[in-house]
Amino acid sequence: MAKQLGRDQQGITLRGSAEIVAEFFSYGINSILYQRGIYPPETFTRVQKYGLTLLVTTDPELKNYLNNVVEQMKDWLYKCIVQRLVVVISSIENNEVLERWQFDIECDKAAKDESAPREKSQKAIQDEIRSVIRQITATVTFLPLLETACAFDLLIYTDKDLAVPEKWEESGPQFIANSEEVRLRSFTTTIHKVNSMVAYKKDSFS
Amino acid sequence: MEDLENNTTVFSTLRSLNNFIAQRVEGVSGLATPGSSQSSLQMQYQQRVQLEEQAGQIHSKSQLLQVEREKMQMELSHKRARIELEKAANTNARNYEREADRNQELLTRIKQYQEREIEAENKLKEQMEMNKSYKKSMETVSKKLQEKESKLAEANETITVLKGKISELQWNIMNQEMQMTSQDSQKQELMEQLDVQHKKWQEASQQIQTLQASQSLLAEYEQKIKDLEQKFSQQEHDTLIVKNMKAELARFPKMERELRQLREENAYFREMKENNGLLKEEVEGLQRKLERYEKVQAQLVTLELENEKLLGKLKSWEKLDQSTGLNIRTPDDLSRQIVALQQRELVLKEQNSTITNSARILEKARQQLQEEIIRVQSQLLDEKKKREQHEALVRRLQKRVLLLTKERDGMRAILESYDSELTPSEHSPQLNRRMREAEEMVQKLHAHNTELEGQLSQVLEEVGNHKQRAEMLEVEMKVLKSQESTADQSVFVTKEEVDALRLKIEELEAERSKLEGENRALEMKLEKLTLQGDYDPSKTKVLHFSMNPASLAKQQRKEEQQQLQEECERLRELVRVLEGGGSIPENLEGVGSFQSPQEVAELKKQVESAELKNQRLKEVFQTKIQEFRKVCYTLTGYQIDITTENQYRLTSIYAEHQGDCLLFKASSSSGGKMQLLETEFSRTIRELIELHLLRQDSIPAFLSALTLDLFSRQTIA
Repeated sequence: MAKQLGRDQQGITLRGSAEIVAEFFSYGINSILYQRGIYPPETFTRVQKYGLTLLVTTDPELKNYLNNVVEQMKDWLYKCIVQRLVVVISSIENNEVLERWQFDIECDKAAKDESAPREKSQKAIQDEIRSVIRQITATVTFLPLLETACAFDLLIYTDKDLAVPEKWEESGPQFIANSEEVRLRSFTTTIHKVNSMVAYKKDSFS
Repeated sequence: MEDLENNTTVFSTLRSLNNFIAQRVEGVSGLATPGSSQSSLQMQYQQRVQLEEQAGQIHSKSQLLQVEREKMQMELSHKRARIELEKAANTNARNYEREADRNQELLTRIKQYQEREIEAENKLKEQMEMNKSYKKSMETVSKKLQEKESKLAEANETITVLKGKISELQWNIMNQEMQMTSQDSQKQELMEQLDVQHKKWQEASQQIQTLQASQSLLAEYEQKIKDLEQKFSQQEHDTLIVKNMKAELARFPKMERELRQLREENAYFREMKENNGLLKEEVEGLQRKLERYEKVQAQLVTLELENEKLLGKLKSWEKLDQSTGLNIRTPDDLSRQIVALQQRELVLKEQNSTITNSARILEKARQQLQEEIIRVQSQLLDEKKKREQHEALVRRLQKRVLLLTKERDGMRAILESYDSELTPSEHSPQLNRRMREAEEMVQKLHAHNTELEGQLSQVLEEVGNHKQRAEMLEVEMKVLKSQESTADQSVFVTKEEVDALRLKIEELEAERSKLEGENRALEMKLEKLTLQGDYDPSKTKVLHFSMNPASLAKQQRKEEQQQLQEECERLRELVRVLEGGGSIPENLEGVGSFQSPQEVAELKKQVESAELKNQRLKEVFQTKIQEFRKVCYTLTGYQIDITTENQYRLTSIYAEHQGDCLLFKASSSSGGKMQLLETEFSRTIRELIELHLLRQDSIPAFLSALTLDLFSRQTIA
């Protein structure tokens, strides 16, 4: 739907923007899970996207979970009530939060009432997304090694007045006690702007 | 037939044609000249000939047609034949193709069969080779077998030879035993001799001992002699020493005297030393004092310098006092002065502020006044314009007055002329009236003139007023300007205020920058917090999927942990029970079996393998036992069977009857002592029992004797 819109019209509509951002989250989360070794590498398969070779999970349970979350995200992005998506990586042993991948979303709520599409080419957006994903891949060089077995969780920061849907529940922010932060690149569809950053637990030895 | 018919038709046609031609010829001949009858005949003939030729042509034509038709028919049939042939050719070609295909298939099959054949041949060759190798191995095996058989035969031969040898050797042994007994008796004799010799030796050794004792005594005595000699030499030495000592003793009183002297001197020196120490301490104390004094002196110098400086300063202060005319003599005065100055400053400041205020007020007033001046000037300008207008008006009026006076004069002159010309009687009333009228007019004009003059004067007065006001304003202006100049002076005073204000401004600026810095720091903090994932809980809430992988993993881990704990508990229970020595309770047995079916399977396997091993061992033992028994039987010549507990039955290889056997009973389970039990057979060999068992107490000897006996009996038999 998004692609069609993107192709047929030169501009970006709210629905198309939500679609693009949700897709980015899907691929971004997959990339993080692969790069950080949360799931075994053999459960990932190669896919061409944004002019890059990306790795996408084949684990059916994980796939199902990600699809659920991304679909819900799409809805919320369309309604412009989501502020942030956080990928929390924590140790299974002692529940300690080791990494937080944060994607701040700035919604242009004016786009809700507008009918005319914004002018930005699909290619320009894809270029921006590609550089963000490349940076995610490059962060492995400086992030500390995850020594224990880890699991991940997806937190979504929404507006306060949102009714919690079924299967969802409120959560804590899951901060890292002693963290170091790195800001990554951002991209914008002119309706949604996504700023990405990563916070990780400071190495106690350094 | 057809041809004939055709001919007839041709002829008939020909006849009709001839008729037709004859008619024509008659007609023609009728017309033609009779002289030409011959020629007509000829002509007829010619015609006939021509006709015949024509007929022949026609006939040939018809024949040609016929031939052509035939040809057509032939062609048709040819075509048909060709088509049929083509069809046949096609079918043949198809058949041929099919045949060719079949041929190819057959060829491929042949090739396959050939390949198979080749394979089969190869296999056959391999088999043949195998066969040959087997045959070879068979031959080698058979050869080996033959060799082994021959070896066996040789071994049997050697066995028989060895058996002969054994019997010979047994005879030899018997002889040697006999010899042994004789040698024993000899040995006993020799032993007795040896005892005698031994006694002799003992005596000799005793004598040797006594001799050795005497020798040792001798050595001791010699030692003593040596010691005594040494003592003697020492004594000689001592006498020498004593002599020397005596000489020394003579010197002793002198020495004592010297000693006393030295002691005295010593005491004196000691005192001196003490004095010396005291003096040294004093010197040190003095040096220290000196150092201190030196320091004090240096300080004194510096103090004097300072004092001079201070005196200079004081003088300068005093001079200042003189110069300033203030009575500053002490710092208190100064401070008082300063306080007074400060107070004055405050007063001045206040004045200053009041002055500045007044200056401001004045400034405002000045501005107002300037505005007023401008207004007044504009009014003045208006007034001037008005005055000019009025003046112009006055001039015009004067001109008019002049004109009017001239007119009046002219009119009077005219009237007078009239009066003079005309009779006054007729026109006098009229003239009078006119006169009056004219006079009235003049009076009116006069009135008007006066009015105008009044107006003019009024205007002039107004102008004067305005001028006065302008002057006043100018004066005011001057005053204000002077005030302004004074205000400039006050500006000088307000500078301080300005400075103060500036300082305030600077302070405020500093505060502002500080606040900005704080603001920035706070923003940074906020930024950091957002980076760390902080959020505004009043506006935002955090959601996550309830069945997320992290919580799932945790749950799984918890369950696992619980399971492990339970298992651990159970095992602990088991361990406690086992330590208590009790048997495994049923519920825990269940645990054991539940614990690991894998382990059970493994154990079962182990058991099976152990049983198998056991069985194998049993078999091996069985065979070994059999072998051992056989070997025992062949080597010792007795078959040993266990009849009941601790009872052994021996059957000789050379037994005459099957029932001939000996029964032995072990007195203890370890088989240390054996007892012969009575059997039917044992009764027949009493002699041997008596000799070997009762006298020699040797079962092996008894058994060997029995075998020899039985063997000799058999061989004899």
